[in-house]
Amino acid sequence: MSRIPVTILTGFLGAGKTTLLNRILTEQHGLKIAVIENEFGEVGIDHELVINADEELFEMNNGCICCTVRGDLIRILGNLMKRKDKFDHILIETTGLADPGPVVQTFFVDEQIKEKLYVNGVVTLVDAKHILQHIDENDEAAEQIAFADVLLLNKCDLVSEADLVGLENRIRDVNALAVIHRTTRADIDITKVMDVGGFNLDRAMEVNPHFLESGHHHHHSHISSVGIESPGDCDGKKLNDWLSKLVQEQGADIFRMKGVFAVKNQTDRVIFQGVHMLIDAANGGPWGERPRKNSLVFIGRHLDREALNAGFRSCLA
Amino acid sequence: MKNIGTLRAADHILHLAWTPAGDSLAITPSTGDILVADATAGIIQKFPAHGMGNGASAWFHGDLATCGFDGKIRWAGQEWKPGRGMIERVKTSPDGTHLAAGQGRALHIFDKNGPTDFSLPQLPDAVADFVWNPAKANEVATVGAGGARMWRLGEKEPFARFDWGGASILVDWSHTGRWLATADQTASVHVYDFPRDYPLHIQGFESKVQALAFSADGTRLATGGSPVVTVWPCTGKKGPEGAKPIQVEGHDLDVCAVAFSPLTGQLATGDESGTLLVITFETGQFRRKRSRLASGISALAWHPTLPLLAIGHVDGEVMLLSLA
Repeated sequence: MSRIPVTILTGFLGAGKTTLLNRILTEQHGLKIAVIENEFGEVGIDHELVINADEELFEMNNGCICCTVRGDLIRILGNLMKRKDKFDHILIETTGLADPGPVVQTFFVDEQIKEKLYVNGVVTLVDAKHILQHIDENDEAAEQIAFADVLLLNKCDLVSEADLVGLENRIRDVNALAVIHRTTRADIDITKVMDVGGFNLDRAMEVNPHFLESGHHHHHSHISSVGIESPGDCDGKKLNDWLSKLVQEQGADIFRMKGVFAVKNQTDRVIFQGVHMLIDAANGGPWGERPRKNSLVFIGRHLDREALNAGFRSCLA
Repeated sequence: MKNIGTLRAADHILHLAWTPAGDSLAITPSTGDILVADATAGIIQKFPAHGMGNGASAWFHGDLATCGFDGKIRWAGQEWKPGRGMIERVKTSPDGTHLAAGQGRALHIFDKNGPTDFSLPQLPDAVADFVWNPAKANEVATVGAGGARMWRLGEKEPFARFDWGGASILVDWSHTGRWLATADQTASVHVYDFPRDYPLHIQGFESKVQALAFSADGTRLATGGSPVVTVWPCTGKKGPEGAKPIQVEGHDLDVCAVAFSPLTGQLATGDESGTLLVITFETGQFRRKRSRLASGISALAWHPTLPLLAIGHVDGEVMLLSLA
């Protein structure tokens, strides 16, 4: 049974989430989309496709100190999966002040949800006019950017071209991996939001082929990205030990991790992703004509680039 | 076992509820009309579906109260929308005077005239489930993130609370009022002994417990989640603590529904594959009957006065099975 994609929509207060949701719900895209929203805004008043729920956070007590997940989502998604009439896509809107971590972690932790659903992407709306102020004043705003696979730099009509370029650079400091789209009134081809395609490091590298290069970033923010790329094979056990130790010690500060590894004695690519202390690996299919290499990205707070590079080098076979 | 009759609702059966007299059975599917059938599986009434999906229904003053993801409660021609969030279930107090509904961080309490001042509009955590105390009609327990809180109608602070972190998804209160049991988001169960003010954490389940129920005499607690049904003794000074539970095998997939007969004390359990077990307890041992039904079992409800079991399936079918 194919799993149903889930898009997580975040963005600070006033960034334009409701405008985007209205577009998604009214556009003729042919998809049957269920929306779960926690922010009781303009959308969702008796709308037949919208479920309102209170954000219900709880700690898993599974030994993971930062493993907070969303109980309401587990129950709602469980219910949606029972229906005969399945949805093509599920969209979860977080509140403007929410840390996206618990939503994403819910999909790592709950076995029944993992079996039937997958996170297609985290889409973050950014208010181009006010984001610099928000980043400086609220950790949540920076964390929402850090978690994004796709960023809509919205309200671009209110900002000069020079300022937009500066903003994009600032956003790249925080999250070098996300695809950035400039929008006004959240006007965008919906497929760029709904068809993110889940984990796809290759595509991110196509968008910004230099983002993994050391020294590319300027580190204006305490939240940043570190990319590591290395040819050759790594030792699977050493890699596993290093990553396990890393998330045990620094998981609270690591928002997202993504990687593609060439593991010695394994013919296929190993893809890896993680949120805080939760990590997950899967077979990424054959390398084909591509050269075997390792690519790894961390997005988080107070990341030590040199230590991460040294740690990974110690895993090479 | 004899099949008395079958009927079909529109979707996965979420919940089944007999009237106290046993003359009608409420059938709530996840989507589509909510049905009322008689004890021969004849449909006698239909209630409209709730937008985005139904929640569990309850009998209240002789009429069916329904709720849903649209945040509405309908009862006796009235419709209440106490807040914006979804409503997953409504439950009637044991004396039949009040109806409760959890909605986000609120527990709404209604009487036959509508919302009452007994409602608790701003609880610290969202209400994942709640249960009335069968032994005291003015007491209700809520569970969610962090633990359980016990409330008396008219009081704005809980008279008891059990905090453990984590979160619970289901709660049941023994008919004697002694025990409160929760099934948790992790593979564990918490059981509270009120007289001793003693919490017990039972771990070691193979998977998340998806169903639990106390026997009518309060001496047994059944839990189901994995293919093994576990029945805990709730007698003596310590109840399940240190006791060896009865473990019943025979299911093929995860158990989704458990229910004790108020008449015979038999336990019925159903799993995702459609296997039904009916377990009869005898001194020091048990017997089980095993039936393989056509589709996965999602809900079970014993008739209050007859050896008759209503079985709800994931495909919307409901079967009435006589065990006389």
